[in-house]
Amino acid sequence: MKETKTKGSSGQIYSKGNQVSRLLVSAIYIVYTMIAFFVLGVTFMNSLKEKGDLATNLFSLPKKIVFNSYHVLFEKNNIGQAFINSIIITFGGTALCIFMAAMVAYGISRYDFKGRGFLGGYFLIGMMVPMQVTVLPLFLIMQKLGLLNTRLGMILLYGSSISFSMYVFAKFFRTIPMALEEAARIDGASDFKIFIQIILPICRPVIFTMALITAVGYWNDFYMPMVLLSKKSTQTLTLMIYTYLNEFVRKMDVSFAAVVLTLLPVILLYCIFSKQMVQGITGGAVKE
Amino acid sequence: MNKRRQYLFFITPGFILYTVFIIIPILYVIYLSFFEWNGLTEMTFVGMENFKLLMTDNKIAPDFWSAVKNNLKYLLCIWFVVTPLQFITAYFFYVRIPAFKYIKFMVFMPYVISTTIVSFFATIIFNPNIGILNSVLKALNLPQGSWLGDPNWTFKIFIMIVIWQSAGSGMMIFYSNLLDIPKDIMEACSIDGANEFQKFWHILLPLSLPSCASIIIMSTIWALSVFDLPYILVGSTGGVKGVLDFVNMVFYRYTFGSVLNAQSNYGFGAAISTVMLIVIIIVTAVQNKILSRFEYDN
Repeated sequence: MKETKTKGSSGQIYSKGNQVSRLLVSAIYIVYTMIAFFVLGVTFMNSLKEKGDLATNLFSLPKKIVFNSYHVLFEKNNIGQAFINSIIITFGGTALCIFMAAMVAYGISRYDFKGRGFLGGYFLIGMMVPMQVTVLPLFLIMQKLGLLNTRLGMILLYGSSISFSMYVFAKFFRTIPMALEEAARIDGASDFKIFIQIILPICRPVIFTMALITAVGYWNDFYMPMVLLSKKSTQTLTLMIYTYLNEFVRKMDVSFAAVVLTLLPVILLYCIFSKQMVQGITGGAVKE
Repeated sequence: MNKRRQYLFFITPGFILYTVFIIIPILYVIYLSFFEWNGLTEMTFVGMENFKLLMTDNKIAPDFWSAVKNNLKYLLCIWFVVTPLQFITAYFFYVRIPAFKYIKFMVFMPYVISTTIVSFFATIIFNPNIGILNSVLKALNLPQGSWLGDPNWTFKIFIMIVIWQSAGSGMMIFYSNLLDIPKDIMEACSIDGANEFQKFWHILLPLSLPSCASIIIMSTIWALSVFDLPYILVGSTGGVKGVLDFVNMVFYRYTFGSVLNAQSNYGFGAAISTVMLIVIIIVTAVQNKILSRFEYDN
């Protein structure tokens, strides 16, 4: 065996003899990543084509760059409304969810009381039971509360699925020294004031990370809006794309543009904050 | 405010919201499953009738059992194809194959893309008339396929799409856990002359099993309740020959699609959900038991 060893910057040591197989593995993955470039590129390109151009060839460069499809989407198909709905539901749901999760996590991890362990477990049930299983009762409850087909209903629903964020927040709060709050308490600050003015600012990175992945999930959600938002005036972007997908060949032009509009915000966020997003799904662990 | 009761102030709002939208629905769905109810008239208590209907009725039961079979098939694919693939990819990131940062970035990216859009991409590729796959095959004079319309291919393509869209999250969890393995263990191995394979097989893999547990439990729950992707890809009946018909789609058809006696029976729908709930609880509990054997105290 070759004795030349290279030290990887993360600490592990691998022998130079593996270099060829390493390159080979890399090459396979790089080819695989082309799929993403291909579908994203085709979609973006096609959204800028004229309808006739699009019908003749789906995979060539546009003969002429036009914004017709976007124009039709906004003028005739009212995608503006769906966009606003998606924004309101995503932001409202995320803000509520993160705030509630932080409050509950704070209450459970910073106070000692009877039933604390039970409550901790109680709030984790939501992680084990997906909403797909409870969608029927949710539909009936929404109906009863008059929240069916309302954005408020979606916001409350999304705001209630706090399990994962709560778990991450609780983990984080345990790392903050109690002395911090005690000093403020001696100065006469109320518990809520301590929470808002001292604790929340400290966990700004965690809040941001969790808000990011929560928001992406809500922006992309399909099942809940499909069941709970059947009225056209409250439908979200994903629902709109779904209806286009059902008549794809006829509505090809607008579907490409609609997909671009829905994708753009999340892809941009991902490009800027990919590290935070990965931190979010791995439970807020800060690494590398 | 009473100092001792401060925690109530923090917990109560979240508790109410969470209880109304997460906990009550779980209890409510179990309750409903014992009734016959169309949502308008009086509820009639029917005991286990809905469950009997679901499992033995000669019109409904075949649908249900074939969907259960598909769910199991999907679950096995997750356990024995997707999870190993996730781990091996995480391992490649860990040993820093060339361009691993770029690869990592691209492999995780589809995670932020909505299922509707992923299905849209699948159409661009696999649509028999306008998809790129058949266009390329035609140009190369090779036989073309109907892909998602071909029962021999549907399930395989479905798994490929699942891997493309959602394998990234598990990979990242594995990867972040691999990074947690103390460096001195790895260095000691190298000094003792362990080769790459030995390090992978005797150190990295066993030390990753605890993180495996949570990934497998979560992906199992998602596999059992899968709905969005197959529904958007092939429609509510599960495509040709029902190859992609899953329990949740049966539930959707009978509850919101009114297939049963041309009117919705919420009790019957609730029975399907309840069965799913029970299976999820049992599978999670059993997995917890088995996988916890691999937990190490370190």
